[in-house]
Amino acid sequence: MTHTTLNQAAHHAANETANAGRRRFLKAAAAAGAATAAPLLCGNALAASHLSGRHMVHTTWGGVYRDAQIAAYCDPFSAATGAEVIQGGPMNAAKLSAMLESGKPIWDVVDVVDVQLAVDSRKGYFEKIDPTVVDVNEVEPEYVHDYGVANIVWSYNIGYNTDAFPTGRHPRSWADVFNVAKFPGKRTLRDRVFPTLEHALLADGVAMESLYPLDVDRAFAKLDTIKDDLILWKSNSESQQLFGDGVVGCGLILNGRGYDSHQKGAPVNIEWNQNIRSVDYYVIPKGAANADVAMQFMNYVTKPENQARMANRLAYAPTNLDAFEMIEEAVKPWLSTHPDNASRGILIDIDYWRDNLEPLAKRWTEWKLS
Amino acid sequence: MPSTVTRDRRALLVIPATALLLVAFVYPVFWLLLRSVSDPVWGAHNYATALGEVIYLKVLWNTVAISGATTVFCLLFGYPMAYTMVHAGPAAKRILIYIVLIPFWTSILVRTFAWLVLLQPKGLINDMLLGIGLIAEPLELIYNRTGVLIGMVQILLPFMVFPLFSVLSRIDDGYMKAAANLGAPPLPAFFRVYLPLSLPGVLTGCMLVFIISLGYFITPALLGGRRDIMVAQLIQEQIDLFGNWGLSAALAMILLAGTALIFTVTYKVFGVKPDIRA
Repeated sequence: MTHTTLNQAAHHAANETANAGRRRFLKAAAAAGAATAAPLLCGNALAASHLSGRHMVHTTWGGVYRDAQIAAYCDPFSAATGAEVIQGGPMNAAKLSAMLESGKPIWDVVDVVDVQLAVDSRKGYFEKIDPTVVDVNEVEPEYVHDYGVANIVWSYNIGYNTDAFPTGRHPRSWADVFNVAKFPGKRTLRDRVFPTLEHALLADGVAMESLYPLDVDRAFAKLDTIKDDLILWKSNSESQQLFGDGVVGCGLILNGRGYDSHQKGAPVNIEWNQNIRSVDYYVIPKGAANADVAMQFMNYVTKPENQARMANRLAYAPTNLDAFEMIEEAVKPWLSTHPDNASRGILIDIDYWRDNLEPLAKRWTEWKLS
Repeated sequence: MPSTVTRDRRALLVIPATALLLVAFVYPVFWLLLRSVSDPVWGAHNYATALGEVIYLKVLWNTVAISGATTVFCLLFGYPMAYTMVHAGPAAKRILIYIVLIPFWTSILVRTFAWLVLLQPKGLINDMLLGIGLIAEPLELIYNRTGVLIGMVQILLPFMVFPLFSVLSRIDDGYMKAAANLGAPPLPAFFRVYLPLSLPGVLTGCMLVFIISLGYFITPALLGGRRDIMVAQLIQEQIDLFGNWGLSAALAMILLAGTALIFTVTYKVFGVKPDIRA
């Protein structure tokens, strides 16, 4: 039996109802000699081995984030199901889009940022999430998407150098960050149009709830006011360096990076007021060979104990709030979906950005060149 | 004289290289060309955008200006360096070669981050200058064009030094002695005898540095200011965010055409071929 036909058999089996289908698949696979009957370990008779002999390719961003996902999701998923998880990364948007265009993706599960999910899912690039396999009932509704399963939530926060502005006398709002007279020195924003326009509008007094649709002209006019005091960061490590070395006194940092700097003893802290939440989703590229395994992996990711492992390791927030019961106390205040933090911010509107990203990204470049 | 058979056999030696070029260069370039006129629809609209809209023209100009300045500085620093290497004793020569080579073996990203740390307002260089009282305020060495040039010149210097070194080591010292013998003071002798002889090396070095600069990405992104956007950054953004292969391909083709043009003009104007043996 060739690999392809085995995949087809498995795919077929997975589409049928629960246990009967699984049992039939196991039989088919065992009969084909591709899988041996593994010992049945736990209450759910097939859980420990029903995917043995199968594999999927998991692709994500680099560094500690990848390590954490392997430890929190990939390895335990392998142990629980018998499926082998191969690391295919690192994630590269250009590579993914070339793969999607060709229609023969070699990645089965890919970590993408929410705005990209919104842009690419409209192009029909991803498999639709199968609600009979992926149980999203426990996931907060604002993180449920037809074409992706939320993996972590993080946020764009106001960050500051505590040598320049000790906590308590630090910038507490985007209006403060844009106020060069009150908080002198250089400030930093990310070199991306989103959600920089949101920050400018918040600074100009627009309420969080009434940000969208964005008043673009007003946002750029506000950005003009700090043009000469602004350093734009391109990579997260760069942002940590800018804050840590005191090159900037305040500005934008992602909560996880603020946490990392803080943990390492750098004079960096973050403010939760007016934070903007954003989500990394797992998606399955259309036509992925092991989409059925990937779908079960997605289901695994929604479970609180697995999300808690991720949070404890890297301070990225769960979408299934039951996870908080298993998260260490010291980590909780750093998490974007913690009720105290979430209530002080908003979720980025990915549909707005899906519809407006291209012209606004161009205008952002224009603004930078002016 | 080799027989026809041996010569034919020798021709076989170029097959691997030709095959590699076909697969790794000709095919992708052709593919890009195709995409630039076919994505999302057939026509020259991607070129009209790239050459008609102010932001793309500004960025193309930035790219040429930064690459040009990098080349000039590399030549100014690289020529004396190569000259010293050629005329140094064997031990000193080896040390100098390693001084040029070792940074060359380090990752560009690492070197760029190192410059971030060195050049920032509270960085090593500013601290030192402030400490010895040479300056009262930190110099703005980074997040502007100065930062881009410092980083790029340091990274690209070996591409200038080694072609120059190779050409200069083949210039017979006798020429300069003859010039001196005939009454030429050192400077005129250098400009009328030595410099023209070294021109192939200068051209090769400049061409290499300029062409590599055109595609630079990381260094201007990290060390530059808001305005220091080069074409490669725009291409990356167009593909990463929008999967816009058409416009990206057009921008890449314009760079390629520009490079070919510069190559041809240099060849015609100077009438010297860059020294490919370097």
